Amino acid sequence: MPLPPRDFTKIGPTEGERFPDVRLPDQHGATVDLHATRGGRKALVVFHRSADW
Amino acid sequence: MWPTLKAEGVALFAISYDPVAVLRAFADKHGITYPLLSDEGSHVIRRLGLVNERVQEDHAHYGIPANPRHVGLPYPGAFVLDEAGIISRKRFHESYRVRDTGAGLLARTLDQLEPVADRAVTRQDEAVRARAWLDSSTYAFFQRLHVNVEVRAAPGFHVYGAPVPTGFVPLSMEVAPIDGVEIGAAEWPAPHPFEVKGLDERFWVHEGTVHGTLPLTFSAPPGAGDRVIQVTVTYQACSDSECLAPMALALSLPVREAALEGRELPKA
Repeated sequence: MPLPPRDFTKIGPTEGERFPDVRLPDQHGATVDLHATRGGRKALVVFHRSADW
Repeated sequence: MWPTLKAEGVALFAISYDPVAVLRAFADKHGITYPLLSDEGSHVIRRLGLVNERVQEDHAHYGIPANPRHVGLPYPGAFVLDEAGIISRKRFHESYRVRDTGAGLLARTLDQLEPVADRAVTRQDEAVRARAWLDSSTYAFFQRLHVNVEVRAAPGFHVYGAPVPTGFVPLSMEVAPIDGVEIGAAEWPAPHPFEVKGLDERFWVHEGTVHGTLPLTFSAPPGAGDRVIQVTVTYQACSDSECLAPMALALSLPVREAALEGRELPKA
């Protein structure tokens, strides 16, 4: 029997909230502050599985 | 894709748990210039509550050995932020079980799904014709497409369904592993019972035309490029009087990464 479905609306930050502050290194090792780099632009933030497999 | 978003003043960020070196190699290989952010250790993914524990649960459920790469893995999905950084739209997969057609944020937004057309690939032998096609000839990040397989047994023939008698091969499809694509479980209609006169045995078979599906989720970051999905359909065809040898038909289904030229992000 498959496992029951999961409610994905309850996972992670929700619509209407400010996206959390995120500071992470990019592919060149430079630290990127997501909101600062966005600089008032709209953004698409994608979470993906490994780029390696 | 990225130049268009950039021209429209939209910033694109991709986040995974890969180390910087892996992301650099990926960006170099695919010519990606937007930020690929390295959340090694999955600290941000965990803080945001996006860890996919389901993979491990599912694997335990189906008896698949644990894979260290599944620790701290995020659900694939995307957030759209407005100018103030407020989340105006969020899309993650609702369920593995929903037979959605192109549930992806981009797919839905861009209305990419085409009617099933002439792109089906066909292979056949004396007893069976197999056709395979994808829901769409293009994909976008996070889109779920299905491999569709239609198997038609010639009149007088049937193919075995599961469970099969010892020594026989049931109808099945298999998709070769491919980077950045999650391969789901195939679904087939239930076979029906078949009894051979004089034999005290009951078999499960498919007759006529059978349509199976298998979901694929494209979870590599945008820019991963065009793909070829390799599908193998395996079956054994029998008539009332004879059984043919098990067969495997290989079908190659190309799928292009969708360009976003001239497209807009979803309205909040």
